[in-house]
Amino acid sequence: MNILHYRDADRLPAVHFGYWPELLVEWAEQGHLDMALAKGWRDGNDADREIDRLIGWDFNWGGAASPNNRLFPPFEYKVLEELPDGSRRIQNREGLIEKVKPGVQSIPMEDDYQLKDREAFEKLYKPRLTYTPERIDFDYYRHFNEIRPTDRPVGLFLGSMMGDIRNYCSVIGMSYLIYDEDETLFEDIVNQNADMQFKVAEAVLSTGAAFDFGHFWEDICFKSGPLIDPKLFDKLTAPHYKKITDLCLAHGIDIVSLDCDGVTEQLLRTWIDNGVNTMFPIEVGVWGDQFEPARKKYGERMLGVGGMDKRAFREDKAAVDQEIERMKRLASLGGFIPCPDHRLMPGSKFELVQYYAEKIKDVRL
Amino acid sequence: MNTELLNEISLNLQQGKAKLIKELVQQAIDEGIPAETILNDGLMAGMNVIGEKFKNNDVYIPEVLIAARAMNNGAQVLKPYLAASGVKAKGKVCIGTVQGDLHDIGKNLVKMMMEGKGLEVVDLGSDVAPETFIETAINENCQIIACSALLTTTMDVMGKVVELANEAGIRDKVRIMIGGAPVDEAFCRRIGADLYTEDAASAADAAAAFCAEMLG
Repeated sequence: MNILHYRDADRLPAVHFGYWPELLVEWAEQGHLDMALAKGWRDGNDADREIDRLIGWDFNWGGAASPNNRLFPPFEYKVLEELPDGSRRIQNREGLIEKVKPGVQSIPMEDDYQLKDREAFEKLYKPRLTYTPERIDFDYYRHFNEIRPTDRPVGLFLGSMMGDIRNYCSVIGMSYLIYDEDETLFEDIVNQNADMQFKVAEAVLSTGAAFDFGHFWEDICFKSGPLIDPKLFDKLTAPHYKKITDLCLAHGIDIVSLDCDGVTEQLLRTWIDNGVNTMFPIEVGVWGDQFEPARKKYGERMLGVGGMDKRAFREDKAAVDQEIERMKRLASLGGFIPCPDHRLMPGSKFELVQYYAEKIKDVRL
Repeated sequence: MNTELLNEISLNLQQGKAKLIKELVQQAIDEGIPAETILNDGLMAGMNVIGEKFKNNDVYIPEVLIAARAMNNGAQVLKPYLAASGVKAKGKVCIGTVQGDLHDIGKNLVKMMMEGKGLEVVDLGSDVAPETFIETAINENCQIIACSALLTTTMDVMGKVVELANEAGIRDKVRIMIGGAPVDEAFCRRIGADLYTEDAASAADAAAAFCAEMLG
């Protein structure tokens, strides 16, 4: 964490953001790791750490401790219909109706959603977005400092202000909620969700559990920019980010990162001005997001973890070397830790990932 | 001609007032305004403004989606009148997310914007086989095949669509457009597709221009 505090550090860490599950299966079939590891992998779990060891990673930035700050209880996973083409209509754990097709490696297709009006919010979602002490394993967090890893930074997952809501009703549903007749409904949903996020973080931190950084997730941008008007995003979410990051600061957490895919530039002001200071994973490859212009604009209060074009892992050593050179230049700005700019995708070569992890650790600061 | 009413249709469409648009379009029909004029100077005029604003970051996806919903509402009212007066679409497009990819938000957005330009769009859905694009383009007399992909793992299917179009000998009659997160101009050139566009509004503009050129 010295790098993110502009303090001296002897070298760059080898940080990653996990894998597409299909890649781990590919690597297991190629004999690089056990299939049990591949199938058992999750961000930050034991399998993740074992794969870190095999590759040479220092740690996974996405492995923050996750308290129960989503729908509680979640919806029941149900198969609603078996379709003639082999696909299924299902209700997922967030209440969204999706079409999934076994064997197709893709993000599921939204088919319908339940969060359409105030009645659905009050009946189905509000109770699941309300803080109750049952959400927190207090005993675990009271002993957290005794069991937490000491060889890597540990983050606290702070949830999402709007991304989760988008997940409950899709981009289309969220758009209709913003503009349909009940003018305060969308704002009420954001407030309800954010209030729960704050109370969960407050409860965890009240146990004395110590964290090195806080971490939000949003995924509220795409190729051309934000999925929502930045002014509306700012109006609805800024006070909540501020309240939660102030809480973190009061508990000694001054690094707060946020995971947002896509081109984030138009939302950075909201985050930076409200205590969310570390952008992640800065998708330079597929989406063309950039760290350097944002650093110029916001100065040293803007930090970054990410920005390495993961597509190099499907090519050759020369492509990886080129990315390492680019990362060296960005790291020299300070307050920046290179990390592949999202999950490593199928087709990434195991030996090239190992090569990157080894080489990036050789970079002296 | 009640141009004030047409402006009202355009303005309310831009604000996404779907129910009101239905009523205003019906009112315009009742006042004897030709269906094609209502379509061009009311509904499509409104969608054109939204498309331009979207390109310039003056509005965002939610505003486009609610405008498109209003456009659909108005178009439903107009449809029988357009058919009765022999008004034809300004071109025909078949669109889909390529095989192996179920993600369809971008594809749906492009579809809505193309319909807002007066094009008829055959929506093939997602996970569409390359052969289906070609068969549909031939059977439905489409001027454009529009392929979308979200994933780096599926974008290469677009190259297969181009190959099959070449084999079928339809490249002089059908243009192939591509779009989606991992796709760019260089990829478009590499696979031999005709056009890549950055966003949905630009895709709709380009499709309308293609169709106008091809249909004279």
